[in-house]
Amino acid sequence: MFKRVLVANRGEIAVRIVRACRDLGIKAVAVYEPGDMGALHVRLADEAHPLPAPNSYRDPDEMLEVAKRLGVDAVHPGYGQVSEHVGFARACEEAGIVVVGPGSTVLEQTLDKVEAIRRVAAAGIPTTSPSTRAFAPDESEAILAEAEALGYPLLVKACSGGRGRGTQLVREPDQLLDTVRRSSAAAKAVYGNDHVYLEASVLPSRYVEVTILGDNQGNLVHLGDRDGSIQRNTRKIVEEAPMPSLTEAQRETIWATALQVARLFELRGVTTVEFVIDGEGRHAFTEVKPRVQVEHMATEMLTRIDIVREQLRLAAGEPLGLTQEQVRMRGVAILCRINAEDPWHGYMPSPGHITGFRLPGGPNVRVDTYAYAGAEVPVRYDSLLAKLVVWGATREEALLRVHRALQEFHISGVTTNLGLLRKLVSDDEFVLGHYTTEFSRRHLMDAPPPDDNLRDLAAVAAMAYLSRAQAGRPTTPPAFTSGWHHDSRRLPQ
Amino acid sequence: MSKLLVTIDGNEFEVEVLGPPGPDGFVRVTVNGEPLRVAVSSMAAPEAIAWAIVDTRPQELIVDHDLRWIQSSRGRHGIHVRDLEAAVARPASGDGRIKAPIPGLIRRLMVEQGQLVEAGQPVLVLEAMKMENEIVAPRAGTVASINVKLGQSVKLQEQLVEIA
Repeated sequence: MFKRVLVANRGEIAVRIVRACRDLGIKAVAVYEPGDMGALHVRLADEAHPLPAPNSYRDPDEMLEVAKRLGVDAVHPGYGQVSEHVGFARACEEAGIVVVGPGSTVLEQTLDKVEAIRRVAAAGIPTTSPSTRAFAPDESEAILAEAEALGYPLLVKACSGGRGRGTQLVREPDQLLDTVRRSSAAAKAVYGNDHVYLEASVLPSRYVEVTILGDNQGNLVHLGDRDGSIQRNTRKIVEEAPMPSLTEAQRETIWATALQVARLFELRGVTTVEFVIDGEGRHAFTEVKPRVQVEHMATEMLTRIDIVREQLRLAAGEPLGLTQEQVRMRGVAILCRINAEDPWHGYMPSPGHITGFRLPGGPNVRVDTYAYAGAEVPVRYDSLLAKLVVWGATREEALLRVHRALQEFHISGVTTNLGLLRKLVSDDEFVLGHYTTEFSRRHLMDAPPPDDNLRDLAAVAAMAYLSRAQAGRPTTPPAFTSGWHHDSRRLPQ
Repeated sequence: MSKLLVTIDGNEFEVEVLGPPGPDGFVRVTVNGEPLRVAVSSMAAPEAIAWAIVDTRPQELIVDHDLRWIQSSRGRHGIHVRDLEAAVARPASGDGRIKAPIPGLIRRLMVEQGQLVEAGQPVLVLEAMKMENEIVAPRAGTVASINVKLGQSVKLQEQLVEIA
């Protein structure tokens, strides 16, 4: 097993990796960009080393230099940043540093998503229909011509990253180039790769993904399926495992196909194979994600397998030590991504100082986050603040629990999408489990919440008005202002 | 003693606050004539209200500093409060200045000086937190000035565009 592992990331995933390292008795080595010194992943690590410049987290040369200088056994790049950089992976391998994530050969085969689809199709597996190649964002004429051949509506997808970023549906030709530009910019901001490709859309569709563990001997097990159909503002925000409303036969077929794809690419460690399911229930391969995913916690709750721990173990060359029969998938897990953004105002990011932060608790509730009361949400990084996952023996139980946990979750100082998530998990279509990617078009934020007691809120609003009037008007009798706001709401006798 | 007209999502409530809180921490109020007791976590400022108990019903809340909305765990409600005893109503804000709601980089400018814009029309794209954020016109009018250039970094609250 490794002795020291460089955690080449920040935010909640870096905290997650630090924890997995420490659980295995491995020394976690954190790095930080200027201004990110006090971040939680740094505070919890065994060692902390500065990076010289802003944007070092996603600078492969800088990260490699640090890894070599510190003499670590392995680097865990998480997701985003340098996790899908072929050159970085290859240079690490040449320097004798293990990459806990996709190696250079796997990346070379999967990073070109168009080529990956072609290869899977050649093996006789049903796939989606992509454009003939990937495009730079400025190849306007070639992109328009390809789109015409594929037909509308179609998907614009970034070559790097996943549906959490950079995937957008285009319904009309006049939206195409603008969407390409935005997808490309979003992917470039996170992965440093601005290439995009097009894919014929399947509407209505559902997205299903299967996470797979593999060791160096080629043993593979799958960890069940997960639904990732729900997006908001082009980002996934709610995921559940297993996917609702799939028959057992469909599930078995999808699992088997995922394993077939994994064998085709000789996938190792932790990888995820993604499929689109059309209205008739037919599945088609769309992408391979050879790295740990943001939503891996949902599968962890379903199987009770610590995926990041397994990833470290497998990267160290240990055997899988687990047969498919030993993978138990029980109950239902629902995961919510809590972002520092304002769903009432176009999902504008909301950086700032977190003044209040209270986690939900109770059985079968887990939160992964880098945030705490007093933490900064930096303006320079992604707005993903926390991930909440709940588990229930049945879907009904999981739905009640996610509702309860979201109500308990309290964050003040920055605006979050908690209000949107609360609405989403109580939406009829979501509750029934028959949702598709079209769910993203539902206008959840437009109507005011129906079941509030407005009379009670009117009374509170009146109190709020008086509190402001009081603060701005020192002529208010002191008896009314003193002693009424902190420890006691009683007036001086 | 205050008499207020509170409008929530278009529903009007006349709220009378009958003095400071009693020894039990509750303030007596009437809403549309119906007596209620209300306790709030803090009276320091609207945004300091984190929870309230109305009669026996507790709930956690977030209240906008400018009292434009109140948020329960179920969602956000638009509110408007008017003091029925105040002589002058506050004028509505007619500010056409668009300021940066977040520090970031100007990625695109979608309007030109002198151009007519409608309320809600996108005027520029501000990149921040690895997202492109469309900034829209707060009201209809003419673009009186554009105070930023493409590619420029802007600070929080820096004026970007003015609509006259």
